[in-house]
This record gives sequence, C-alpha cells and structure tokens, in this order.
Amino acid sequence: MKKLAALLLAAMMCTTALTACGGSGGSGSSSSGSGSSESSGSGAKAGSITVNIWDANQQKGIQEIADKWTETSGVKVNVEVVDWDNYWTLLEAGASGGTMPDVFWMHSNTAQMYMENDVLLKLNDYIEKDSKIDMSKYYEGVKNLYTRSDGNVYALPKDHDTIALLYNKAIFDKYKVDYPTDKWTWTDMYEAAKKITEGSKGDVYGMAMNTSNNQDGWYNLIYSYGGQVITEDHKGTTIGGAESKAGMEMMRQLLTVGAPQSVVAETGTDSLFMSGKVGMITQGSWMINSFYTAENHADYAWALLPYADRNGNGTCEKDERWSAYNGLGWAASAAVKDPESCYSLISYFCSEEGQKLQAEKGVTMGGMTGVSDAFANAFEGMDIKPFLDAENFSLYFRPYTRKTTVWEDALQQAGAFLDPWQKPDDAELMSKACDNAQKIIEDAIKAE
Amino acid sequence: MKQLAPRKKRTKAEKREAIWALCFIAPTIIGLIALNFYPAIDTVWQSFCKTGDFGKGNVFIGFANYAKVFTAGETWHSLWNTIKYALIEVPFGVVIALILAVFLNKKLKGTSVFRTIFFLPMVCAPAAVAMVWKWLYNQQFGLLNNVFGTNVAWISDPKIAWISIGIIGVWSVIGYNMVLFISGLQEIPGDYYEAAEIDGATGIRQFFHITVPLLSPTTFFIVQTRIIGALTIFDLMFMVMDKTNLALENTQSIVYLFYTYAFTNGDKGYGATIVVFLVIFIMIVTFIMQRAEKKLVYHP
Repeated sequence: MKKLAALLLAAMMCTTALTACGGSGGSGSSSSGSGSSESSGSGAKAGSITVNIWDANQQKGIQEIADKWTETSGVKVNVEVVDWDNYWTLLEAGASGGTMPDVFWMHSNTAQMYMENDVLLKLNDYIEKDSKIDMSKYYEGVKNLYTRSDGNVYALPKDHDTIALLYNKAIFDKYKVDYPTDKWTWTDMYEAAKKITEGSKGDVYGMAMNTSNNQDGWYNLIYSYGGQVITEDHKGTTIGGAESKAGMEMMRQLLTVGAPQSVVAETGTDSLFMSGKVGMITQGSWMINSFYTAENHADYAWALLPYADRNGNGTCEKDERWSAYNGLGWAASAAVKDPESCYSLISYFCSEEGQKLQAEKGVTMGGMTGVSDAFANAFEGMDIKPFLDAENFSLYFRPYTRKTTVWEDALQQAGAFLDPWQKPDDAELMSKACDNAQKIIEDAIKAE
Repeated sequence: MKQLAPRKKRTKAEKREAIWALCFIAPTIIGLIALNFYPAIDTVWQSFCKTGDFGKGNVFIGFANYAKVFTAGETWHSLWNTIKYALIEVPFGVVIALILAVFLNKKLKGTSVFRTIFFLPMVCAPAAVAMVWKWLYNQQFGLLNNVFGTNVAWISDPKIAWISIGIIGVWSVIGYNMVLFISGLQEIPGDYYEAAEIDGATGIRQFFHITVPLLSPTTFFIVQTRIIGALTIFDLMFMVMDKTNLALENTQSIVYLFYTYAFTNGDKGYGATIVVFLVIFIMIVTFIMQRAEKKLVYHP
C-alpha cells in the first residue's frame, strides 16, 4: 500500500510540475530584470535598464538608438531578445510574480489586459512635462490602443507596419507571367497564380497563404470587400456577413491555385517562398529584413496589395484597397525602481529624433506620422515603397479585443478556416466557415 | 492491543544529530514545498476558480470548470490521443529496449560504444530532438521522403501523424529503458543459464523461460513509469506540429490542451481543471497497475 501511495504521489508531482513551469519561467525573467533594480530605494538612479523585445531583426538597430540615449543619460541599456511565444509567457509570469523587465514592447493582442491590471507604468504625468512628445503626432489607431478608456496612457507608439505583396521575379519570368502592378485586383492575382501553378505542373505554386497569415493575409481580403473582422467599437464582427463572405470566396479561389494547406502547415510560407517554391506571398513590413538579407534577394520585389473592384469601374477607389496596420508600444513596468530613466528612454525612442533614427536604420517605419520616408531608402537595391504607398489608400488597425488570442487561434484551426483551407474546391465549406467564425468571435467576446 | 513502548529520552548527541540532519535536508524540503507541493495545491484550488489576469481576482465557482471539462468533446478526444501515443511508445519502447539490452549485455567487443549510441537520444534536449525529426518528416524537403522517393505527409496526414509522433517517442526512450534492462539483466545469476545450457535449452528458450520471468520486476517498473511519462507527453506535439496543422486535432495530447487553455488563452482555471482531470486518470491507471502487479510479476 505504501508503494501505491508513493507512486500516486509521484504521478501527481509529475503532472503538477507542469503548472510549476509557469512559475519557474517567471524566475527566469526576474533574473534578467533584476539588473536594474540592484540599486535599491525608490528614486535611485538605475545603473542599467533591461529592455526586452521579441524581434531579433530589430535588436541591432534598437540597441544603437538606446546607446545614443546612454550618451546623454549615462544609464546603460541591455536589449534582450526573447522569441514571441516565450516573450508573453515570461512577461505574464513576471507580471504575476512581480519582476518584469524594465522597458518592453506591448502588442495589440494583450495590451488591454496589461493596461487594465495596472502592471504598466502610467505615463500621463511624464508626457505632460515632456516637450518632445506631442500625442497628436502619432498614428490614431496605435495611440488609441495604448490609451485606456479613462484616458490614462500606458505606452508610447513605437512604430507602425503595413502589408504588401511579395513576388519572385525569377518565377514570373520563367513562366512568362507579367509582374504585379498597382492596378492589380485580387482576380488578377488569381490569374497570375493560376498560370504559375499550371505552367509548372504543380512544381511551383503561384501563391501560398496559411490560416495563420491573418493580419498579413486574408484579413485584408475581408476588408477590401467591405467586411470587418472586428467592428470599430471592438465589440462585434461582420465576418459572417455577405461582404466578408465575398472576400473569403476570393480567398478560396486563390487557394485553389496556391500551395495546399498540408504543405504550408509543415514548411511555412516564408520558407517556401525563399526556397523558390512559391511565386507570391503577402507580407508585413516587419519582415522586410528577412527577405532583404536572404540568398536570392535580387529576385524579390514588392508590390501594393491587390484591391477589390467592388463598384466595377475598373479603377481603385480609396476604400477598395485595404492594408492592416499595427503598431507596437514602448511600455515600462509599474514596479520599476527608476521610472524617470525608463520614461526618458521611452521618450527618446518615440521622440522625432528617435523615430527618424529608427526609420533611417531600417528598423521599422515610425509610430509618428511623417518620419518614415527615410525607411524607403534604408534597403539599398530593394524597392519597398509599396509599404509607404499603402497609406494613400485605406488602412485599418489590426483587429483586436480584450483577449485577441482566444478567437484568433480558434479561427486558424479546425472548426473554422482550416477546413475550407484543406478543401478549397468546396465553396459551401468556406461560407460555412465564415458563419462559424462569426460565432467563435461573438462567443469569445461574450466570455471576455 | 499493542503496548506502547516507553518513550526513550534522546541523548544530547542524538538531538544534535537530528538538528543537523534537518539542516541538511532543509534545502530539499523547502524546494519541494515551494516548487512542488505549493503549486500542486494551488492548481487544485485554481481548478475551482474563474481565474483573473496575473493571478489576481480569482472567483470561486465550484465545479463549473469540471462540468465544462467533462462535457467538452475535445477533452476526451485529447485523452484518447494521449492513450494512442502511449499505446505506441510503451510497448515498442519496452520490447525493442529489452531485445537491445539482451544483445548488449553479452561480452562482445564494442558493446560500450553501442550502449552509448543508444543512450544518446536521452541526453539530447527534447526540443532539439523534435526539431530534427520535424525536418526529417517534412513533406517537401524531408530526408525520409527524399531517400524513399515517397511523398507522404508524415505529420500532416491525420491518419498517420499520430504514428509518426509515436515513433519519435519510441526512439527517444529506448536508450533509457535499455540501461534499466541491462542493470536488471546483470542481477540474474549466471548459474541459471549454465544449468539451462547443460539441459540443452536454446537461446530463445532461455530468453523466454529465464530472462523474461526474472526480469519482470524491472519490466513492470519501466512499464509503469513509462505509462505515466507517456500520459504527460507534451513537448513532441508542441514542437513538431504547427498550430495550423490539420492533424493537430488528432494528435494533441491532454497536456497540450492544458497548455492551450492556460498559457495561450490565459484561462488558468480551466487549464488547472484539465490537469487535475489528468492526475485523477493517472491515479486510476496506477491503481489498476498496482493491483495487477501480483499476477504479472514473477516472484521466485
């Protein structure tokens, strides 16, 4: 009997140790965050500030800008990269356990939750006293995202991104297809993709898109056909409506001439594109550097996202071409020991000087309007103007609610859009998936 | 009635010894309490709560989470996936390891080299193992499809993905099981084999009539620990399967489901309930195994 009890206990500890993972993950982040809190006592000037980000592409540029700030402040800055999935696990554990990194990025997926629970440093008083920050200069959607309904500001807009079409000139040449232009509709994209897929007899796919390519993919079709994934009040959706269904029907047709779902789920659209297996993908501006530094980057070129000619007059109206935009925010932990220095760093990142540096170095486009022109020239030999031109048409802010990941994940999986993605020939299935998606989002919002 | 022995007074030296003993085990005890017992109890508590963000504002809701877990189809589907995985990993992991152990227990040249090779997967980080296998299985560029000239979606075809995952599990665990078997084999006295040989028993007869019964306590131990290990599998599915993989539904383990709810969706209470559900299931399995021990294990 003793042996039995011991085994049961062992079994229990095995499984419950899983939950302990979350806790121990927190201690991992605390050790990285403690660098600054070494100097005890509030108000004491920190010796160094720990900055956590998730994008390794940006680390070098951000560190350089931060070093510039160090020249005047004398406070050292360590920029550490934690990959996207672990970033949020660590941050959440840090917020629950009490030790977060000092300064870090916020994202539309989770910003609401963090702002409501007062784990972020309130920036209002600092902004008021700061002559370098003028809140009216930032992109509306990004600014609103990090402002709580009671008017408190918890993060300053770091950047904004847009979406464009990426194509491989070598593949287009090989199968004698004309390059994408800014007059392309989604139907033109379909025709081109079809020519490539059929011309290569399935060896190369005309286009590829996974269900997880939402912000940089199928969301844009829904909006250009007049639908909305999340309505402007963040309380509902029209994804099951006729406009959204028209957009997803176009998506379905694209899928019939694109890479099958089983292929993109295993290899990823980026890798497929870079290995010359796919002619076109849609991509966000945060990915430019990956393609700019890729082996065959001379073959790659960007174009404006196609539009939906809804009124049938053959030209692109402002509200017929939509690109998602999203913006990260620079936030600080509410428990930070030296809030003055942390704010000063955030302020520098988001000031006109910092924002212009960020664009010049090709890190990202700015969160402030009118500072991003230099970004277009940051990648010598690659024309990335389509990302800036997208702003001449319509932009929508990346759809978010309080707990975005809950419905966003569900939409990518079986029971929602994974089914029609798997069988793109079945038009009925896509329409049904839109209805399911409507219900998934509504239920998720209700449960928030 | 048993008579209570008069309490012996401890000498000073004994007291000191006891205090020192406590001091020495204190780090382990504190570690166990802080990292195992406290989270375990807290998990059970959370399973009765609608948990708030960042561990604040938990509201007690009784058995509501349990009602949801027990009625959700995905719970039972995931449990079945986990059992399917265990059905591959445990039998194959044990049988292959036993055969290897018997061969590597012989006094031949190079046994230590082979033992090391078979044990290596155990030393590798599970995440690294999963990444390598993910690329071996890749439909487009994977080594398997290229070598055999096939075009099989090893990890995206719902019909075979669970087997592919199970194979990785077997491969990873063979070395560990083998080492346990070898140590068990070395406890069997050589006399039995000598006697059997004189009586004219073949190698195969010796294996089934001496090795297998005398090794049964070791086998039972391995089977039992591996069942518990297989039921708590997570890393393989998490690393190998993409979220948008159609086969995920048919391979995701119950711990994966827990991860999705607790960490991706941020619903710690529901996640905790799934874990408690798993613990109860493992307890039942363990209980049955313990009952069966007397029948299955040979006690000379």
